[in-house]
Amino acid sequence: MYSQPWCDALNQGPLKRLIRKVIGAPSDLRTPDERFRDEALPHLPAVTRFAFSLTRDESDAEDLVQETYLRAFRAWDQFVQGSECRAWLFTICRHTYFRTSHREQRVVAYEDAELEALGAAALHTAAQADGLDDVFSRTEVMEAIRAAVDALPDPFREVVVLVDLEEQSYEDAARVLEIPKGTVRSRLFRGRRLLQERLIEHARDAGFARATQADVTEEET
Amino acid sequence: MMTEMLDCDSVMRQLWDFLDGELTPDREKAIRAHLAVCNRCHPQHDFEQSFLRALSASRREPLRPDAIKARVLAVLRAEGFAA
Repeated sequence: MYSQPWCDALNQGPLKRLIRKVIGAPSDLRTPDERFRDEALPHLPAVTRFAFSLTRDESDAEDLVQETYLRAFRAWDQFVQGSECRAWLFTICRHTYFRTSHREQRVVAYEDAELEALGAAALHTAAQADGLDDVFSRTEVMEAIRAAVDALPDPFREVVVLVDLEEQSYEDAARVLEIPKGTVRSRLFRGRRLLQERLIEHARDAGFARATQADVTEEET
Repeated sequence: MMTEMLDCDSVMRQLWDFLDGELTPDREKAIRAHLAVCNRCHPQHDFEQSFLRALSASRREPLRPDAIKARVLAVLRAEGFAA
């Protein structure tokens, strides 16, 4: 697939080795399949994680990954060399998921990113009052974080997964989700605030909060 | 050039952009300068930073990476993949 006679000739065993020895194996001597192997296949774990975040089922995620790579391979000549291959694969994965699952992409009402950031500041003040400043550095919260991410509504979970778990920039996440960068920002901040609310509540229920001065005074009297 | 002076409200509104590395270098510098001297915003910064670190560390790795790779390669080879 994607082979051209001149390219194949250059890539034949001894000739290929000789050329690479003389001119140092430039990347343009790779066949498209070799580029796919070098640029797309290393992202298999990331695409699998992303697929799981969509399906939330291991077996469905594996089917989705297989279909994603098949579509990516068939469309490899459309991939712009030098662009973010991982973001390109995430886009294909997401399209495939919505096409095959017949799920509707949910529309979210307008949110104000900066109000969400201020809301998070208020949550911190409440957490401080309960002695929960260090709640996120406790290993016990790891499973609670995973459960809270799984429970987020789809539009917020998608951006949290892309930016916070897969380390995509706002720009790349916007490209994958086909929404404006400002929408990525507002959904991300809302998703983070929802997670913090849930986790602080979990920490209180789990008894991580220390007794407040008012509680102590009440007990003493 | 002088560093821009920011108040606590502006810093709180942009704290996540700052932690995500999404601000311009000048704005980043101004926030860093504010955080260095503000007893109110600095704990907020540490709290948000520990939240983002924990969130990032919660990432689940695929359960069967080798099996998925073998399955994908088999499908690609059937399609003509030869690398």
